[in-house]
Amino acid sequence: MIQQIWVDARDSLLGSDAEDGSVLAVSASALALLATVVTFLFIPALSLPVLVAFIAVTAVGWVTHQPEIARLLTLIATVLTLLTVGFITYFLFASALPAFLEHGLGLLLIPVEEGGTRWFFWLGEVLPTGDSIWNPRGGAYSLIPSIWATVIVTLVAGAVAGPLGLFGALFIAEVASDGLREVIKPAVEILAGIPSIVYGFIGFQVLNGFIQESFLDDGASFLIAGIVVGVMALPTVVSVGEDALSSVPDSMGDGSIAMGATEWQTMKSISIPAAFSGISAAVILGLGRAIGETMAVAAIMGALSSRLAFPLFDFFDANTTLTSLVAVNYGSASESTLDVLFVAGVMLFVIVATMSIISQYIERRMKEKLRGQA
Amino acid sequence: MSEGYAREASLVNEGSNGYDRMLDGTIALCVLTSATALLALVEVVPLDATGGALGGFFRTVFAAIAGGVGVVALASWANVVPVTSRRIRGVAVGLVASSVLLTAAAYALPVNLATLLGLALLTEAGVVVGAGVASRTGVVDTEPDRSAGLLAGVTFAAIGLALGSALAGSLVGFGSPVWIVGAVVVAVALFVATVLPQEDVGSTLPVALIVGTLGLVVATAAIGVGWQWNPDALSGGFTGGAVIPVFVLFGTLLSAWSAAKCRAGFGAPGREYGAFLVINLNALLMVAVMVTIVLFVASRGIAYGFHGFTIGALSALVLLAPVFAVVTEFARTPAGSSDWHTGARELFRAVPLAATGAVAALLTTVLVTGRELSYGYIYVVQVDRSEQPLETAVSVTPEPAVGALVLVVPALVLFAALFRRYGSLRNVGEWSGRIRSLQQTVPVAVAVLAVLTGVLVLGGPSPLGVPLGGTVGAVAVGAGAFGAAALAALPLAALATRNGSLAERAVDGAPLFTIGVFGGLGLLAAALFLQAPAQVAPSLGPVNVVPAVGMLAAVLSLAAAGAAAVARRRTGETIQQRLLGEETVLGLAGVAGFLALVGLHVSLTGTSFTVLGVSVTTEGTLSWPMTMQAYIPLGAEPGGIMPAVVGTVWLVIGATLFAVPLGVGAAVFLTEYAEQGGFTSTVEIATNALWSTPSIVFGLFGAAFIIPRTGGDESLLAGMLVLGFMLLPLVLITSREAIKAVPDEYRDASAALGVSRWETIRSVVLPAAMPGVITGVILGVGRIAGETAPLILVLGSTLNATESANVLQGFSFQASPPFVTNPELLQASASLPTQVWGVIAAGVSGSPQMGWATAFVLLMVVLSFYAAGITARTYFRRKLNYE
Repeated sequence: MIQQIWVDARDSLLGSDAEDGSVLAVSASALALLATVVTFLFIPALSLPVLVAFIAVTAVGWVTHQPEIARLLTLIATVLTLLTVGFITYFLFASALPAFLEHGLGLLLIPVEEGGTRWFFWLGEVLPTGDSIWNPRGGAYSLIPSIWATVIVTLVAGAVAGPLGLFGALFIAEVASDGLREVIKPAVEILAGIPSIVYGFIGFQVLNGFIQESFLDDGASFLIAGIVVGVMALPTVVSVGEDALSSVPDSMGDGSIAMGATEWQTMKSISIPAAFSGISAAVILGLGRAIGETMAVAAIMGALSSRLAFPLFDFFDANTTLTSLVAVNYGSASESTLDVLFVAGVMLFVIVATMSIISQYIERRMKEKLRGQA
Repeated sequence: MSEGYAREASLVNEGSNGYDRMLDGTIALCVLTSATALLALVEVVPLDATGGALGGFFRTVFAAIAGGVGVVALASWANVVPVTSRRIRGVAVGLVASSVLLTAAAYALPVNLATLLGLALLTEAGVVVGAGVASRTGVVDTEPDRSAGLLAGVTFAAIGLALGSALAGSLVGFGSPVWIVGAVVVAVALFVATVLPQEDVGSTLPVALIVGTLGLVVATAAIGVGWQWNPDALSGGFTGGAVIPVFVLFGTLLSAWSAAKCRAGFGAPGREYGAFLVINLNALLMVAVMVTIVLFVASRGIAYGFHGFTIGALSALVLLAPVFAVVTEFARTPAGSSDWHTGARELFRAVPLAATGAVAALLTTVLVTGRELSYGYIYVVQVDRSEQPLETAVSVTPEPAVGALVLVVPALVLFAALFRRYGSLRNVGEWSGRIRSLQQTVPVAVAVLAVLTGVLVLGGPSPLGVPLGGTVGAVAVGAGAFGAAALAALPLAALATRNGSLAERAVDGAPLFTIGVFGGLGLLAAALFLQAPAQVAPSLGPVNVVPAVGMLAAVLSLAAAGAAAVARRRTGETIQQRLLGEETVLGLAGVAGFLALVGLHVSLTGTSFTVLGVSVTTEGTLSWPMTMQAYIPLGAEPGGIMPAVVGTVWLVIGATLFAVPLGVGAAVFLTEYAEQGGFTSTVEIATNALWSTPSIVFGLFGAAFIIPRTGGDESLLAGMLVLGFMLLPLVLITSREAIKAVPDEYRDASAALGVSRWETIRSVVLPAAMPGVITGVILGVGRIAGETAPLILVLGSTLNATESANVLQGFSFQASPPFVTNPELLQASASLPTQVWGVIAAGVSGSPQMGWATAFVLLMVVLSFYAAGITARTYFRRKLNYE
């Protein structure tokens, strides 16, 4: 049993055809790395010398047993990448834990206004209520207004990015000629590359004035933030959707063409239905992007308002979303507010990661199906 | 697929009748009105413009369209860009005709733009319904289906629901339940009108009804320019200025779709044409949005960003050299055979070269005549909430000087490019015994100088009290420099002393070419690097030896390259031509290398070098205050954002150094070593999830994990690590894709030769995957360079920092743990994105002009990464496909 574990461990570290002398080199290097990680976690001041020791040991190993050390290094890279994921998850949750323990459901206070509990999808019956829903001195921290702001902004963004993205994906995958595709695809990529702060600055400087003039609003609004975020999520929808449409086997479309169908008929009745789940995965991923978008929203809508939008669907209102709540308040936050901000971070992390995993699952299923494996 | 459509294409291109032309014109009118509506929405042209102002606008539009269409028509007539499609021709003619029509209407009718747009909508509705009726009554020959289909029906029902509720709501008010009834009635009516009748009526009548209603509402000013609706329930409201363009946009899109269906004769082709028109317009819109954003930011930021920009003509020329190389390469690539006329392609390829040549000639003129080239302009900045005009100029000065850095970087780039271009001259020409012994002596000499450098670095200029640096060092530097000069002269000596034609002499002298260039470069570089530890800079009179030799050697190499090029032109033998081409490239590489050494000497020793009035200086003649100066508090000049630029550069470097080795290593392990299965796919899902994790979450992670471990304060190092964490998943994903894309045959072939696994990975898989990895890294770096949210949390930037991070000089070594410290890395730093955020966060006291200029610089930085990444990808893909 122990023998077997030893052999397995040796195989995964060294590969099955390792020389005996390499065990020493590899284990020395691995131990040095382990020491580095441990010192960085617990005595960070000393981690640099230990890191140097690791580099020295590995350099010696590289000269004497290059294949094994190379394999070890790639393995280390993998483990460190996985550790990153683990650390992010652990430290986010650990930092948010005090707020969870202290406030519990109090983080989801439903406001009481004008004598009655505000209607919030019948949740007022279940969740606690309070007069003041964001009051750091009084210890009231409700994330409900920010959650609702995130929902509205994401809905507006989805309404922009969904249809336009679908058409864009169709254009790139099916309609465009090769030459045109060479132009449009980079253009979409560049659209994705424009930094969010630049979108935010345009929104802050120009669009807010526009909406005050043309939509009689007194300032920033969900509408404009949603449209901007929609444009930002558009490239994600286009590229993932295009990927899905392109993964439909040519033979399916060719069969339809052979029957005398036009290209549009083929697209409408073959490609889109076959790639439907992939396209929905694209929209989900795009919505994930929209939820996670920070700077544009922060720049456009600015500070936190401790009031839930009234009425709920008032898309001319403004408030911080979960992301911009963190960005705007972090600098000036007190200790207990910080913990609440970490709760917002955890929510974002969980929601977006779930959406990403769902969309990956859908995509994978679709590709397997198209290959005839499921 | 395209084969199947050959017939359709020819059918489409057959003669068109009046009906077709009418519809082509309508499609053009729709496109034109929707573009106008877009312009009205962003207030390029006001909706209440009338008479001359409106006419002037449409006249400009007409001029633009006529110009564009005219050029294409000319190209088509000359058969350079043959446009055969009747539809495209029809739409083009329609565009010209409708712009003329609109211009005439604007002058003739006493109406404003809103009403004119409404009238255009009514016209479109009329044409569409006319076309539908003509088709139904059999006046024109079409092939409509029995019904327009459920998809169209449902779409129109949805439109009807929205339209009906708006209509009923504004007539009877949203309070009474009647508006719901009204909405449903309109929706059902439109659904029935779409689905029940034959397709030609079903896809035109509802469109005409909707567009007609919208047109009527707009044309009669029921919703006019001054119209406002401010519902109690919402904190905002609607104005005519926003609603009219939206109505017009929607109406034109709908009638364009319908007209396209009519134009293609309904049925399957009609649906296809309609759908494709919409899809194409959408793609056009996306590109337009992208271009608009970039141009808008540029137009706002460029005036401030280039405040006081000056560059010496010589510096500009040096910077132009790499561009020159690129455009030459571009012009050299074969035009290929494609649908374009080959002659036009060749012209297109030569244009950049010609343009660069023209700029170079212009700069040379400035240099020769000594007259400054300057463009002055005035722009307005906001200082303390009041607007203040600033006068400045962008200028090219005739100084015959070039900064050391400006010289070194392009020269090194050119040297690397030329060296890659250079193949080999091994075993070419006559190898006498003397040449062989020379070939063996040069490396020994270089090694001696290197050893001496090492001794002096370790022991100081006087190791063990012996003043080695001042004596032996100086002699060695001098000897090395003169040796280098002699070596650089070898190629010319070979040409001068041998017999035969120039080409024969040059080919026979090939060994001397290689030894001359490489040996000279190596020896001079060794001598150059010996100077600093030896603390000597030998000079003959007023002239420093090393840069003088570098300059001389550059001239000699240039002469050798020129001679080889002349010889190449004279000879007719292919093999000689090829070899002489190699020699030319080698000579040019030598020129670039020697010039780089001259620049290096100046920047290392800090003394400028002048020859024949041209000088290489430490100061440089490029002055770009926006990126090369820090903020000047209370200064008369606006100052710049150098700390932010420097911060972003270091952030990018740090993140890349952290993420790329990890990401590539993990990708190698996961793809080459690990068993494909549960583990690898879990890792893949986790990395994908990490990639879509919101950036602010990374910031929180950095604040909770990294900051406590890197000194407890916001710091540059924390910013680097956080951005590295963000870059990591992308590098992993793209590297994995690239490694997976390497065909298994490569690995099998390598294994069949008995090569071990690691050797295979190192020398087969990784080189083949490298293009993909590089492209992915460049695109990822472009993305994180603009990342703001995590930096707000971990970088600790302040607006308008006055000091840049000085990372290189910040390193200090010591004997006790932690051995290496760098306080610069542990300090807060500025960066471009946080600078923009700082302007926003400062509210009214921030300077919008500085914000725009910073956003412009940031956008340029990010877009150049993207441009580089996309170009690299296209280049490598072409290379793979042997295009």
